[in-house]
Amino acid sequence: MTLPAVTGDAAVRARAVPFWRRRPGMGLVGGVVVGAFAVLAALGGTLAPYRPSAITGATLQAPGTGHLLGTNGIGQDVATQLILGTRVSLVVAVLAGVGTVALGGIVGIGAGWSRGWVDAVLMRFTDVVLVLPKLPLLLLVGALTGGSVVALAGLIAATFWPMTARILRSQVLTLRSRTHIRAATGFGAGSWYQLRHHILPDLGLLLIADLIPAAGRAVALQAGLAFLGVGNPAQPSWGAMMRDALNYPYLFETSAWLWWLVPPVLCIMALVIGVTLLGTAAETRVSPRLARHQR
Amino acid sequence: MSRPYRSPHLRTVGLYALTLWAVITLVFVLPRLLPGDPLASLSDPSSGNFLYDPTARAKIAAYYGLNKPLVNQYFAYLAGLAHAQLGWSISQNTPVTTIIARRLPWTLLLMVTALALSSVISFLTGVTAAWHRGDRIDRALIVALSAARTIPDYAVASLLLVALAVVVPVFPLAGAKTAFASYSSPFAAIGDVGRHMVLPVVALTAGLAGNKFLTVRNTVISTLGEDYMLLARAKGLPRRLLKYRHSGRNALLPFVTAVGIQTGFAVGGALFVETVFSYPGMGTLMNAAVTARDYPLLQGSFLVLATVVLVVNLVVELAYGRLDPRVRV
Repeated sequence: MTLPAVTGDAAVRARAVPFWRRRPGMGLVGGVVVGAFAVLAALGGTLAPYRPSAITGATLQAPGTGHLLGTNGIGQDVATQLILGTRVSLVVAVLAGVGTVALGGIVGIGAGWSRGWVDAVLMRFTDVVLVLPKLPLLLLVGALTGGSVVALAGLIAATFWPMTARILRSQVLTLRSRTHIRAATGFGAGSWYQLRHHILPDLGLLLIADLIPAAGRAVALQAGLAFLGVGNPAQPSWGAMMRDALNYPYLFETSAWLWWLVPPVLCIMALVIGVTLLGTAAETRVSPRLARHQR
Repeated sequence: MSRPYRSPHLRTVGLYALTLWAVITLVFVLPRLLPGDPLASLSDPSSGNFLYDPTARAKIAAYYGLNKPLVNQYFAYLAGLAHAQLGWSISQNTPVTTIIARRLPWTLLLMVTALALSSVISFLTGVTAAWHRGDRIDRALIVALSAARTIPDYAVASLLLVALAVVVPVFPLAGAKTAFASYSSPFAAIGDVGRHMVLPVVALTAGLAGNKFLTVRNTVISTLGEDYMLLARAKGLPRRLLKYRHSGRNALLPFVTAVGIQTGFAVGGALFVETVFSYPGMGTLMNAAVTARDYPLLQGSFLVLATVVLVVNLVVELAYGRLDPRVRV
């Protein structure tokens, strides 16, 4: 994956962040979207008019006064499920994001700092995990483990850490050769001291900039896995709503898809885009120098 | 770095062999690592499968080889794989290999078409965006393709389904061909399969193209300042040649790598998109297997898909050295 070295005038232009990214609006829009969903998730229990599993009326009722977004194929309130579905998405996003960065950080920083054979072994391991097809693996392990929220977040972290590990390793390798680290080594500072006082603070912002896209990916994945049937069936989630709707045999005979299928799809899109905008803004803020290799 | 000429290829092949072994072993180890016993229901008095006779229970365990040491089980499993035996599907009561052989071609059809289409699209748009870097075309392309990359495949697929198969019913709702259709000519059959493919392929292509677009754009931009570009321009070469032959060609390398990496994404995307359109490939198969908790079928599907991805990645990586003689990794 070595991109050709960029030098001179072209380098300045290539590295310059496109100005659509520089607009402060992106972070704000993303923050507002994610914040709104966070409020929904937090207040979910009081905002939602019904209990998510309760059968509250006729089946496939159109949106109206009693049911803001109508009812689904077995008469549950769609709005309630939509509001409470926010929780799983956000919890998995946060847990999986933190887990991904933590695992990637341990491997990447460990490899970059120790170099030598430890580095070689860790990076070969990273390469192996990197090429595994992730979704089939998640489906298999998710089905085997049952797919509770925590298990799901752990699985997502366990499959997606290699990219973070690679980025962090290369960053640690560059940091290592900087003069302030060399000076610290010269003064006899131990590895642990240097990692804590020099490497981690320098990586801090990069870790955050990596956490947000990882969280966004987790939102899409959790919903997708629930859509494919991996997840706790008792817990309302957007992916499960899509699944139920598309599995309903007469969905398209009526116009029920309009209030049953489309809202969860739009919610997933909105949250994923919101997190991505936030991530792009954070990345730009952290350092344009570190503009990552786009694949 | 000077190395013996052959060594990089050997190393690559070795790494992929190692990965394949890891995949195979993972499939063996995972179910055994997790709590639970596949024959638990036989020794549980409350279950319908309860077998009172302990010798009968032992016989069943012996039949499945579950009384042997793990090492023996492992080698029996490897021997089975060597004979293309992936086990027996519980829900369909058919050998897993037979089921997958029927489903895999449909998934490959979607994947190959989408990978090819997305390659062409991302290459053309990437070069165009780089050429117009900074102005309105560039910005529009970046926004459009970033959105295509960000929005999950299944969301795009669902919206396409609703828009173009329900609201404006141009394309069929589900399946890979019309059920019980008899075709007047082979062309009619191809046309029917093609019509069913359009929406799944478009959904899959969108995500893939968005991923490669930025790679191409950034690489092309980095070539624009090169001396050979200046010379080519000074020679008065037409724009088309400058764009695609002189700067575009240089974007091919990272582009080819991206295509290799994308096979993995394409597999994932295909699983989602197939489920939305009830397309009879590996996606709907794995979906059904998850619902039925049919683990042999899930494991076999994972093994086959992983092998496909590994083989494509290996081929791409070996081709890499051929494409660019400068590369001696």
